[in-house]
Amino acid sequence: MAEAGENFAAFNSRALVEMVGGVTDEALKATRIKKFLGVLAGRYFNWAGRKSLFTLHLGIKCCAIEMAAAATPRFDGDRFGVLFRSSPRQSDVQLINGPISKKFADKVVRLWEQMPEPKYCIAMGECAISGGPYFQSYNILEGVDTVIPVDVYIPGCPPRPEALIDGFGLLREKIIRIGGAPSVQRASEKPVIVGED
Amino acid sequence: MVGSISLEQNTSAAEASLAAINDRFGGSGIDASVQNHSNAKKYAFVRIVCPPQHWLALAKWMKYDLGVNYCSMVTGTHFPDGPDERGWEVAYHFLRQPIQDQTPNTCTVHDVNALSGMDIPMEYEVFIPLPQGDSPTVPSIQSIWVGADWNEKETWDLVGIKFEGHVNMHRVLNPNDSPEGFHPLQKQHKLRYHDHNEMYDDPQGFMRKPADEGRVK
Amino acid sequence: MAQMWITMGPQHPMTHGLWTLRVKVDGETVVDTEAELGYIHRGVEKICEARDFTQVTPYCDRLCYVSAMTWANSYIYAAEDLLEAEVPVRAEYIRLISAELQRLASHLMWLGAFGPDIGNLTLMTWCMRDREMFLDLLQELGGSRMHYNYPRIGGVKRDMPIGFADRVIAKTKLFEKRLDEYEMMLDESTIWLVRLQGVGYANAESMVEAGVSGPNVRAAGVNYDVRWAHPYSVYDEIDWEPAVEKPTSVKGADCYDRYRVRMEEMRQSCRMVLDALNKIPGGKNTNYASGDEMIYTKAPTRAPEGATGFSNYECTRGASQFYIQGGGEGRGKNPYRVSIRSPMFITIPYVAKTMIGYKIADIPAIMGSFDPCIGETDR
Repeated sequence: MAEAGENFAAFNSRALVEMVGGVTDEALKATRIKKFLGVLAGRYFNWAGRKSLFTLHLGIKCCAIEMAAAATPRFDGDRFGVLFRSSPRQSDVQLINGPISKKFADKVVRLWEQMPEPKYCIAMGECAISGGPYFQSYNILEGVDTVIPVDVYIPGCPPRPEALIDGFGLLREKIIRIGGAPSVQRASEKPVIVGED
Repeated sequence: MVGSISLEQNTSAAEASLAAINDRFGGSGIDASVQNHSNAKKYAFVRIVCPPQHWLALAKWMKYDLGVNYCSMVTGTHFPDGPDERGWEVAYHFLRQPIQDQTPNTCTVHDVNALSGMDIPMEYEVFIPLPQGDSPTVPSIQSIWVGADWNEKETWDLVGIKFEGHVNMHRVLNPNDSPEGFHPLQKQHKLRYHDHNEMYDDPQGFMRKPADEGRVK
Repeated sequence: MAQMWITMGPQHPMTHGLWTLRVKVDGETVVDTEAELGYIHRGVEKICEARDFTQVTPYCDRLCYVSAMTWANSYIYAAEDLLEAEVPVRAEYIRLISAELQRLASHLMWLGAFGPDIGNLTLMTWCMRDREMFLDLLQELGGSRMHYNYPRIGGVKRDMPIGFADRVIAKTKLFEKRLDEYEMMLDESTIWLVRLQGVGYANAESMVEAGVSGPNVRAAGVNYDVRWAHPYSVYDEIDWEPAVEKPTSVKGADCYDRYRVRMEEMRQSCRMVLDALNKIPGGKNTNYASGDEMIYTKAPTRAPEGATGFSNYECTRGASQFYIQGGGEGRGKNPYRVSIRSPMFITIPYVAKTMIGYKIADIPAIMGSFDPCIGETDR
């Protein structure tokens, strides 16, 4: 029978869990199961990540119409797992589809920083790659890679929806190589260009 | 088949407007004429060249007595190599549209062939030459036509022509933190690579570097 | 309750383009609005001063990217005014057909974006599917799905391919039946009607004073269309009527009227295309070579200083105007000044004021019903 002041429910289970957890962890590390589980989990997350690339719903200029066309029944990006999310916190991929003006440059960077890792950037269309037909303009940056790191470039003005879907395919291949890796590991990776090889 | 405004209706409306303008403003430095387009159906329109000091009076008369109810475009040009009295030019385009009070459940039905007098749609072009100098100024017509509001903001933003009496002038296309006095469509501002003939000097763009390298965060 | 400003910032799924709409709300009611544009200001007017007259055409395609052919035509008419070029009649017919097909594609894009604003996601898939039909036709003419660079100063780039006319007729007739399907789905839907009727009143006089034109002003009962008021091309030779909608209230046109006007415009565009194919000189199944005098007349390439050109054209969203001055670089090969008047640049500040007094949930309906396209706004 519990006496006043004694609380069996508050028996210090936290210490027990830590002790048991620590012993198990040592055991797993010793038998290298932990590393094996880590690799398996990594591969699983890699597979899940590349099969469901949530793209930020950002439509800048003409390529946004082709992006919208790629989501529609004729080309259907959704069967590849490409879904458009309104919030940058919930998206994996930022698809830059238009020229970046000086007014919008810090918003692009802010959207990029709001996206959680792992995150990727696709530059779609000539304007995002290098300024496009507006490379001489006083207000347009020469390519979005002056402000954020780009993984895949899709040339075209505008690129056909099939090219955009191919770009997503190349991004998937890149994810297989680099995994859900933090950006420091990606500094050495060359960006992929649709249409090469 | 809907009718269109015929050439006769258009020419008669242009001549009537010209007569009214000359009647009211003839001999005061306001020069009006009827011109013909060289494209499409070669219709006529009224072109007015007006010195800035008479502009407000002309604008008010056009709105209330000539029935010009649609201010379409306000723009400006910089002529640094032009004559002394025409270093800048503000160009206005107006339209006169046949609008009536719309009561519910009715459409304005035009029998196009029966439109006459001030009901015939007409285009007006007004040029205001301003002297050479650094601060071209022209009276604002923001209070006369609502449609002139953002057009004037854009003209100041891009070309640098000041509109006297314009309330709440602010940058509308350029970034809000553009430097004071930066008006890109003036001729002294050059485009990037304006003197680089890339076809001969650098066809593949290997030597091209972004002009804002290091300056954009 | 305190009032606060909410920023519907540049990245927003509902704004149909990159602009900021700041709304001041008191609870759920909108009390004041402010629009901020300029996020894709590309300085096209300045760039065009360094380009030939022919090289400017692709820039005009990219102004309003959803209805590229109409903007390219609009520029070409201004350049023809400046350079005093002649255009053969068959080329005018082909320009008319291409412009009306583009108008159909653009209105379908509008409807496909407007439906999801109201919550009807099915419309997006249906409209884009039908838009693909017209994009295929325009691709046959111009070479690309979206930016064609098709009209030339003095004519068109190339003639209609063999069999194009039959495909146009088949697809247009199919689309007219599809329009009936859309109307069946939407006009009897309570949700659609409740969300659109009584929302976003825009009065005819204030619209005209503010410079609004096009389907937005025709929805208020005002019968003004540049195609009959300042005629160009061959609109006076083919069978059509301007689509005007009777406003249901003295307060003006609501969102439902603007939706109806565009559906009616789609029907009229179909009618125009079919009629133009019947009346085209040279026949609809002949294909003349590029540069043939039936479709192209060589135009002068230089414009002297002091020459000006102006065009007033009925683009999908209103009356677009180009004002070009000659005498630029290259001894007149380039324009000295290209000034572009975009209907949406005038309409968007007007739309921002229309929203005052309604609820936050009405903002997408009102904004979408005016059909904003920021490409032409920001030039």
